[in-house]
Amino acid sequence: MGVLLTVAIFLPLVSALLVAIARNSTFSRVISIATSVVVFLIAVYLGLNFDWNNPSFQHTIKLPWIQPLGISFSLGLDGMGMALFLLTALMFVVAFVWSAKIEDRPNLYHALFLLLETACIGVFSALDLFLFYLFWEFMLIPMYFIIGFWGHERKVYAANKFFVYTFFGSIFLLLGIASVVIYGYIVSGSVSFDYFFLKNIQYPLWIQLVTFLLFGLGFAVKVPMWPFHTWLPDAHVEAPTAGSVILAAVLLKMGTYGFVRYSLPMFPEASKYYVPLIFFLSVVAIIYAAMMAIAQTHIKRLIAYSSISHMGLVTLATFASDWNALNGAIYMMVAHGLSSAALFMSAGFIYDRIHSYHMDDLGGLARYIPNLAIVFMLSGLVGIGFPGLAGFVAEFLILLGTYKNYPVWAFIAGVGMVLGAAYFLYMYKRVMLEEETISDYRREKWSHLKDLELHHWIAFVLVLASSVLLGIYPLPFVKLMEHTTRMVFGG
Amino acid sequence: MNWNALLPELVLSIGILLLFFLDLLLDKRHFRLLHVLGGFVSIFAFISLFFVEVPAKTFFDTFAVSSFELFGKGLLYILSSLSLFALYDYFLKKNSPYGEIPYLVLLSTLGLSFFMSSSNLLTLFVSVELSSISIYILTALLRGDYNSKESAFKYLLMGSVGTALFGMGSAFYYGATGSFFLTPYADQNTLFSLFILFFLSALALKISAVPFHFWTPDAYDGAPTPLVGYIATAPKLALYMLLVKLTLLFSQFKLWLVLVAVLSLLSMFYANFTAYAQRSVKRLLAYSSIAHAGYFLLGVSFSDQILQKALLFYLGVYVFAVLGSFVVLSAFEKQEGFSHHLLEYRGLGRENPVLGVALSIFLLAFIGIPPMALFVGKLGMFMGLVKAGLELLALAFVVASVISAGYYLKLMSVMFLEEGEVRFRGSSLSAGESFTLLVCLIFILLLGLFPQLLYTYIKL
Repeated sequence: MGVLLTVAIFLPLVSALLVAIARNSTFSRVISIATSVVVFLIAVYLGLNFDWNNPSFQHTIKLPWIQPLGISFSLGLDGMGMALFLLTALMFVVAFVWSAKIEDRPNLYHALFLLLETACIGVFSALDLFLFYLFWEFMLIPMYFIIGFWGHERKVYAANKFFVYTFFGSIFLLLGIASVVIYGYIVSGSVSFDYFFLKNIQYPLWIQLVTFLLFGLGFAVKVPMWPFHTWLPDAHVEAPTAGSVILAAVLLKMGTYGFVRYSLPMFPEASKYYVPLIFFLSVVAIIYAAMMAIAQTHIKRLIAYSSISHMGLVTLATFASDWNALNGAIYMMVAHGLSSAALFMSAGFIYDRIHSYHMDDLGGLARYIPNLAIVFMLSGLVGIGFPGLAGFVAEFLILLGTYKNYPVWAFIAGVGMVLGAAYFLYMYKRVMLEEETISDYRREKWSHLKDLELHHWIAFVLVLASSVLLGIYPLPFVKLMEHTTRMVFGG
Repeated sequence: MNWNALLPELVLSIGILLLFFLDLLLDKRHFRLLHVLGGFVSIFAFISLFFVEVPAKTFFDTFAVSSFELFGKGLLYILSSLSLFALYDYFLKKNSPYGEIPYLVLLSTLGLSFFMSSSNLLTLFVSVELSSISIYILTALLRGDYNSKESAFKYLLMGSVGTALFGMGSAFYYGATGSFFLTPYADQNTLFSLFILFFLSALALKISAVPFHFWTPDAYDGAPTPLVGYIATAPKLALYMLLVKLTLLFSQFKLWLVLVAVLSLLSMFYANFTAYAQRSVKRLLAYSSIAHAGYFLLGVSFSDQILQKALLFYLGVYVFAVLGSFVVLSAFEKQEGFSHHLLEYRGLGRENPVLGVALSIFLLAFIGIPPMALFVGKLGMFMGLVKAGLELLALAFVVASVISAGYYLKLMSVMFLEEGEVRFRGSSLSAGESFTLLVCLIFILLLGLFPQLLYTYIKL
């Protein structure tokens, strides 16, 4: 099965090259959607064949690659990797379907997204730190150009800021990787980048403390944790809709994925030592970002801040050293991926129709585009944790787990969730309901607005149906999460 | 006399004489032919490396070859042949077909080749001067151009200071050890410390480390662009080979580590900040190379197998990125009135996707983004520094890399993303230029994914 996983990684790369040299834009659209669907089917197939009772990585493949440096081409999935692979594959289908009508340089656009897909799946399945870093960092290039080419007014600024911030984090990560590899070399006498080899080394406390910070900085920028979060609102505001979808649904998860995959198992003592620091940063992110969200009038910026707030919940729960909390954290990664994607699609749709993201220009849209009003509401409900939807399971597990060891922190996190409901409903009111503020001229113009088209429907249905599935039948997914949790906590 | 050890140098010398006479006999129409011939001379020298039996010594032991020197020479010959292939079209377009270029480049290569093999301070001195003087002439090549003359003069002056420091250092070495041969030396005394101080200063000047860097931006700015690709790479390659040898011999001295660390930190931070103030892309790349001198110096701060191998790998791929980027720059400069101002690069990437993408790949490589090979070098340097217990220097390297990312990105975003008036539309590539560019790109990308292809040849 490892071969299938390899195919899922490199198929988009091959398609990207095809699309880049193609002359015909219809060809590139078809190829891109077909590729992403095939990858999604592979993901589903691997997911159905995933045995969560077997406590080891599955669908593995290991080929020799750079032998003098102990680097191998090693892939494999655990429960979390599987879940995020499924999420990634789904999101790229959604992104390509959503972009079906893009006019501006379509071939390049599709090629960059396909490259991004290769990098994203690679990050979630690499079991060799060199390979992991390769995908992790390569992701910057396509995303930089996606923001820079198809963004809005301040796209150059946002693209550069995104790149520099992320690079800032990941070069520290590279130093961290170098440090653990060298420590492994000193202990065992051989250089190896293999994940399992490095995980099974007992690092002395001071090395753990240093390398945890080096790794953590890389992950924290990507999450993004407060105070490294300022690139995110800019990147989201300027990015094209599909770029925002991928950024929010997939790229942010890389940071929290890194914490769970690398920081927790490799540096267990440091992970306990830094709990106060991480909790503090997470809670600041949860509350501060939620307050910032309430203050925004730009709907994309509001959603971006809500992402920061939600990701704060994930980092909080990740380090709560509790079985349920970690399950909830991973569940939240998926749930937030779905909700933020749906919200960004709603915002993007509004922009496509009305050419503004500002609440002052909007209001009472529910009357003119009722279908959007429904899916927008549903997307928001996923985000604020409405029972029966994916977000609820995640938030419930997080609160349950965190409360056991850290009741005060859990209480503050709960406040953040309430704020989440507040800013979403406030935005919904301003954009969809409030009719008093709009001028007659706008009413006249908006009476001909076109509601959701077929490709919008497909994208929304894919995301929202998944959210409902995760909300009403969480068992298989929780089992997936538990597969990882068991590995982290042992037993 | 062991002639076999000198095989590649003999090939080069014969080629130089041949080109010298051909330049006298043939007229201007055969300008292109001379360059291609020069490139092939260098390739033949490269091939002859496979017939050299190592290890060998000759010239009363002042000239030594081992697999370590073969690695450096191999890269050097590839570099000089690639730069020769990329040169001719620029000078034809500038209407200055000077026939002396190929043999001057090869002469400099010959000097550097001797330099790599020298194990004696006197022969080192002679060979580095052979190379430097050829390069001064090459810098001043555009006789009609004021900038070219000025930069050559500055280069000559600063180079002479370096020569003086070199000589002074050698004298102290002789005073301390009673010999000009480089041998392990353990006695810590004033004379030897002075040798390290002067000699390192001389080498720092040649590799353009701060505070001896002042000639670099001017020389890069004024010299004919395609030649900068050679000037910025080949001499550095040879000098770092020497520095690695010196590290293996002398790095147990505390002074060595202190001096190298100071030079390196100054270069990294000064250059990376100053680069932001540059408006000329050539100067920007000059500061980038000063910053890289700082990075590379970290690789000779401590004697450690992993560290020095990483340095040589990093250097070995870096030179191709530099050469490639200057080939792109010289292709741009073939447009009438192009002066490398940042504003003139606006939209050039969109207008010339091939050149723009190539330059972006090199810039991303300088930043250290995978899968470009420089990233493997950076990783290796980190590993070596951590192993040597110099974590703080590694951290400084990391911070400097972060600072540097911004100006490379600025150039990239000007070329591709910024909108506004596009003043220059584009330019064509000659066959030689596209060949060089292609080889550089393949090197950078292939060695990033399969670094063992080069790593296995690095033997200390």
